[in-house]
Amino acid sequence: MTAKKRILLIDDDKDFLFATKLILEKGGYEVFLAEDGKTGVEMWKSVAPDLAIIDMMMETWGEGFSVLSKIRATDTGKDTPLFMLSAVDLQGPYNSFEPPPEFPRVNAVLQKPVRAEDLLRYIAQELGGKKMS
Amino acid sequence: MMKPPTPLVLIIDDESSIRDGCRQALEKSGYAVLDAGEGDEGIKIARDAKPDIALIDLKMPGISGMEIIEILSRDVPDTVLVMITGYATIVSAVEAIQKGTYDYLPKPFSPDQLRAVVRRAVEHRNLKIETRRLREEKERMEKSFITFVSHEMRSPLVVIRQYIEALKAVAGDRLDRDMTEIIERCGARIRSLETLVEHWLDISRIGEGSFAWKKEPLNLLQLIGRSTEEMAPVCKEKGIRLKTDLPDQLPEILGDQESLLRVFTNIIGNATKYTPENGGITLAASSDDYYVTVCISDTGTGIPADKLPFIFEPFYRVRGKEERQRGSGLGLTFCKRIMELHGGEISVASTEGQGSTFLLKFLPHMRTEQGMGRTSVDPATPFRPF
Repeated sequence: MTAKKRILLIDDDKDFLFATKLILEKGGYEVFLAEDGKTGVEMWKSVAPDLAIIDMMMETWGEGFSVLSKIRATDTGKDTPLFMLSAVDLQGPYNSFEPPPEFPRVNAVLQKPVRAEDLLRYIAQELGGKKMS
Repeated sequence: MMKPPTPLVLIIDDESSIRDGCRQALEKSGYAVLDAGEGDEGIKIARDAKPDIALIDLKMPGISGMEIIEILSRDVPDTVLVMITGYATIVSAVEAIQKGTYDYLPKPFSPDQLRAVVRRAVEHRNLKIETRRLREEKERMEKSFITFVSHEMRSPLVVIRQYIEALKAVAGDRLDRDMTEIIERCGARIRSLETLVEHWLDISRIGEGSFAWKKEPLNLLQLIGRSTEEMAPVCKEKGIRLKTDLPDQLPEILGDQESLLRVFTNIIGNATKYTPENGGITLAASSDDYYVTVCISDTGTGIPADKLPFIFEPFYRVRGKEERQRGSGLGLTFCKRIMELHGGEISVASTEGQGSTFLLKFLPHMRTEQGMGRTSVDPATPFRPF
């Protein structure tokens, strides 16, 4: 049996972290949680996960962007799949987040709440489609 | 409530007897008084002291009363201006009032007349300031309400739905049919609450001026096409015929594609709720010199005449409690606000038992020779041919 793939989840809402962790664990992943951006970047370095999911809006609006840039700037962060989470309605229904072209690459932008099957499917696609159980 | 501070009155008059008389009469009644014997000095005092009231003699040597009024209404807009004049002609009174005076006091006047005018002016000032304070408070509350709702109300709903997802993922295979149904129903109610919050936010944003919308030339025929395409499955499911009766061409309008699409689908969606099986919904469009009109009619139950005036009000329900679960109660309010945002109009006609017709009127978009976007009619003053 291969080792479980590791996913780092960065979000400042404890409940959202817990709910999403349950889904990811059900999908067979090992899950690490960070409740703020700073901890998230530190854990990225210590845990070296296979994928990270970052909430766009934490303590401050756009905190997620800066976390994403910091992670992408690390050696391991260059090619690791990174997902962003966004609450649809930031400035209005038609202004959900789309990363600008010069922005560090985001592998997927997921709308909150995210359906369990969608989340696991996107992750499986990025991590080579190997479904673990 | 706090005792109001002593009102400060400034008198600008070249006659010292008038200044002294006014001072005595007003100080006796508890006012604080400043005075100036000529215009420039008066303006300087007014700028520094920002009096509540300024009494200004119209006829003075040097700078004229009319000029003083003009300067003060610009520089100290909260000061209520009253002119004093021995030449109280209609023409000068009208001019002074147009320049921002609140009242006038014809010479000669008695202390009682003076006090009455000043008392009224103070009341006017207090009301003006109170009105502004309330308006600012209202705007502030609207803004913070929008921020509050979008952050504090939506995030728990998002989390609850995420928990429901987690519950299904973790325990889905162990739940029996009843349990699964309970979870589904919880999810559905949470979603409708989210929809309600979003609709309310949209309406608040329109009111507050921060609703994001693009103003671009639009072909309504295309928009009607998109809306019927979107609503066709619902109509089919309910056994309702969805028809269009459209001209080959329609003048373009200026507007926001996405929000207008929501207006159309909202009205069609509403119609499907009140139209029986085998009934029909028709979208028609036409144009004349003033308007591009879209007409959405159904052969449904109709709306009682006494309820028609209220159907665009938030949360108004024509059939009361029995339709509690039918949408947010804000759909038509949204439609009305969006139409107003576009400088257009929405109206409804209905006969009980025969159906309802919603009429949407848009201003046509006229391209000028330079190709710059301009509507033919200023939306601020819509022309109404009937």
